[in-house]
Amino acid sequence: MESGRRVPNRVLLALMLAGLLAWLALDAVSLAPNRIVPGNSYRAFEIGGGWPALAMTLPMLVVAGLAWRPSPQTLRLALWSVLALLVLLPWWLVAASASLVEPEMPQARIGIGVSIWLLLFVWLLTLIELRTRLGLPRQLGWLLLLPVLASWWVALVWWLEPLSLYREYQARSDQFLAAVTTHLALVGAAVLASLVLGALLALAMRRHPGVRRAGFGLLNFLQTVPSLALFGLLLAPLAWLGARFDALAAIGVSGIGWAPAFLALLGYSLLPMVRNMYVALEEVDPAVIESAHGMGMNRRQVLLQVRLPLALPIVLEGIRITTVQAIGLTAVAALIGAGGLGTFVFQGLGQAAMDMVLLGALPILGLALVADAAISALSERLRPGGAA
Amino acid sequence: MIELFGVTKRFGGETAVDALSLRVEKGEVCVLVGTSGCGKSTTLRMINRLIEHDGGEIHLEGAPVRSFDEVTLRRRIGYVIQSTGLFPHWTVARNIGLVPRLLKWPRARIQERVEELMQLLGLPVREFAGKYPRQLSGGQAQRVGVARALAADPEILLMDEPFGALDPLTRQSLQKELQELQARLHKTVVFVTHDMDEALALADRLVVMRKGRIVQQGRPIDLLHDPADEFVESLLGGMDRGLKEAALTRVSERMLPLGPRLLASERIPYAAPLSQALSLMLWHRVERLTVVDDEDIPVGELSLRRLLGGKTS
Repeated sequence: MESGRRVPNRVLLALMLAGLLAWLALDAVSLAPNRIVPGNSYRAFEIGGGWPALAMTLPMLVVAGLAWRPSPQTLRLALWSVLALLVLLPWWLVAASASLVEPEMPQARIGIGVSIWLLLFVWLLTLIELRTRLGLPRQLGWLLLLPVLASWWVALVWWLEPLSLYREYQARSDQFLAAVTTHLALVGAAVLASLVLGALLALAMRRHPGVRRAGFGLLNFLQTVPSLALFGLLLAPLAWLGARFDALAAIGVSGIGWAPAFLALLGYSLLPMVRNMYVALEEVDPAVIESAHGMGMNRRQVLLQVRLPLALPIVLEGIRITTVQAIGLTAVAALIGAGGLGTFVFQGLGQAAMDMVLLGALPILGLALVADAAISALSERLRPGGAA
Repeated sequence: MIELFGVTKRFGGETAVDALSLRVEKGEVCVLVGTSGCGKSTTLRMINRLIEHDGGEIHLEGAPVRSFDEVTLRRRIGYVIQSTGLFPHWTVARNIGLVPRLLKWPRARIQERVEELMQLLGLPVREFAGKYPRQLSGGQAQRVGVARALAADPEILLMDEPFGALDPLTRQSLQKELQELQARLHKTVVFVTHDMDEALALADRLVVMRKGRIVQQGRPIDLLHDPADEFVESLLGGMDRGLKEAALTRVSERMLPLGPRLLASERIPYAAPLSQALSLMLWHRVERLTVVDDEDIPVGELSLRRLLGGKTS
């Protein structure tokens, strides 16, 4: 092949170098005899004579070497290598825990160190870079992660009992499931309600300029109130409502709990929703609207058959932003007793148990990523004029 | 038949259309021409009430347009605009079937009508029915636009610079197709353009507008011969008027029967315009052409003198 195309891929080289450095120099795992006592940290090469760590190093060197002379073939090989690394990593943890944990330490906990988190981050970036370079569709990228998830799951369930994150989960697996459900219910309710309300508001704004100015003013203001403050502000009026009307109290309206959380989430969700909805309806090609009227469509037909379908991708974009934002904000709602995954984050912070914080934070991250990807894929599918 | 009686439209302080009166006969192609901002588009859009007139009256077949429900009115009037306004999320077939569907025609009849129109406008059904507007060239998209306007077989067709965004070649072929269509369909057409060649080629009645008023109207050939003022004259091409007139006259109107002389070597179809004959003479430096029919069989001859309007050969 001509030499011009074979320039080293600097991004991949830099990522692999960063990964190798982290692997060599930073702490990979920590071992604590129980939940209270702080543990000792170990670098990767200090465990098991360094052989397992060396086995993980080799694929990284391979990727770096392939990145030196990139071509579709070498990049594909690099992609498989990175996937192999991701599949192997839990088994390195299995090996590490086997070599560190003595049989007389039943409460021993293996903590995941900086080095491993960095590696995961770097490898995911590498995957994204390789996927873009190779021009693979986004969906395929997600498909490739399936064996990785499967490998982690198998390792966790059968061999990684001492992993502190897993121990935290096992200690409260029922609570965990309930928290995920509450979290999703709150997000779903807020997004749905803001979708309906947002649509009505956007339509009203298009009719009346006065509503538009006032509406955007209020929503912009709401967006600037810190979330915790908003929860606080809702506390008094809702507590009063709950105390005053038994019917409201019966469905759980009070100063704390789901009611203020839902209202605050709704408030934050409305701005991105309304803004996208309004812009989407406004930005449809005027010539299309004129010809729709000119052909004899009435207002309702123009709205339902022309404006809305053409606005749909931007509306979905609004739903995407709102959903991702709500997933994050709901974590804060745990502070006012609304439940959800944020409960673990704040309890963990209170007990200085970082693994418990992660038990809340990681699923939140995962949910946000999945929601983002799913809605993006949907909007790609629904693009007007056919995706093909 | 469309009649405008003293129609006025003001936008704020500006008078866009000023007491304009006009009568478009049934089956006539009326072309409104003028510089931009002269009120020609506004006039057109007042007919289907996309813009409401402030003064005067507009009648359709003798009834004021305001006596109709505006949606019903528009479904009876075909409308074509420069940027086509095709719905990007609908296929070609669905776009064309829009008005019949609004009129709740049975499904089978809509499909039949759509296919008929696609054939009429040279869009092979199998190739184009399932395509989306962004997969079409400019000319194809505008053909779909015209088909959509004709779908419910309206009496009246309003066309607002329909070919303005097309390249010259496509524009000319679409103008020609429109002429052929009109020869078959005999619609009442109001056509807005700022392209004088297009106006001259298509118009039965040419209406020159300026500042919201009609400066002159009549047959294109009459306007060429007798422009009302310098504005009309310059709009008609000034010194080029001779060529424009020649473009409106066919060779068959000036040719003589074949004489005893040898056939001239250069040939011209009898339906071609005189301007093309003149161009051929200039190019080949000859004073005589053989006129041929559709099968390339000589039917007459044309001399430079006859072309110029002389009585003898």
